[in-house]
Amino acid sequence: MNSRRTWALIRFGLTTLFLFVVWILFSADAGFFSLLFGFFISLLSASLTYHIFLPEHEANLRFFIPRPFSLIRFFILMVAALYASSFQVVKAVITGNTNPRIVHFRTRLRSDLARTILANAITFTPGTMTLDLNDDHLTVHWLLCSTTHAKAAGEAIKTRLEHALGRTWL
Amino acid sequence: MMIVREILALIAFVIGTAFGLVGMVGLFRFKDPYSRLHAGSLCGTTAVFSYLIALLLLSPSVASTLRMIILIVFFLISAPTGSSIVARFIWESEDAERQRSSMNREDKSL
Repeated sequence: MNSRRTWALIRFGLTTLFLFVVWILFSADAGFFSLLFGFFISLLSASLTYHIFLPEHEANLRFFIPRPFSLIRFFILMVAALYASSFQVVKAVITGNTNPRIVHFRTRLRSDLARTILANAITFTPGTMTLDLNDDHLTVHWLLCSTTHAKAAGEAIKTRLEHALGRTWL
Repeated sequence: MMIVREILALIAFVIGTAFGLVGMVGLFRFKDPYSRLHAGSLCGTTAVFSYLIALLLLSPSVASTLRMIILIVFFLISAPTGSSIVARFIWESEDAERQRSSMNREDKSL
């Protein structure tokens, strides 16, 4: 019971901190009353929503606290992948050669947050789109499909992003 | 310094507009809904992202730069969510369709 309470307290504190930082960034005002108001509002919202924002079963801080440098590296990789696959889709639109297929593969990321971000990154790049995410099983629609073999398809679509994500979160 | 930023921003605007145009063409060229969504995501993410980068380059002060970065982060979260909802709806309605047709086949075999 005691460790659960400590964990709840940590999650509550992290949620408050996150909301407070977002409040400061959005209001862009460092006045005393603005900070006080923002702090109390963050406390209120955090007390209502911390169990949804950071679920209890995420049993490790590394599951949702990113490493900043790896996060920046992941962001740069994702922008590079975005433009590379955009050019491929542009070529496909002009020539009309597409091979749309649905492929399935698994991810080895463990936290819900990292999996969701991987699915979102796959959808974000044109040419691939996540249809379903069940535990570690991803269903992806691939516009320029070269293989339906699960491992090879996973290699082609997500391995680089997954490596970068695995360094950022667990 | 300002002129370099303006030229880079112009390049980003041109790239974004080109992607948007090709995405629009693809929206009418492709036939099945998933491929159309892919072409739509060319408009919806690559073009908009290029515009946001251009606006980031043109932003005059630190405060507006920070806000542009927040906008980009929220765009990174919200843009795939929208197309994911549409794709998932198509996927699940096709699933239901398959199940219904297989049930009809079973009925005929009986």
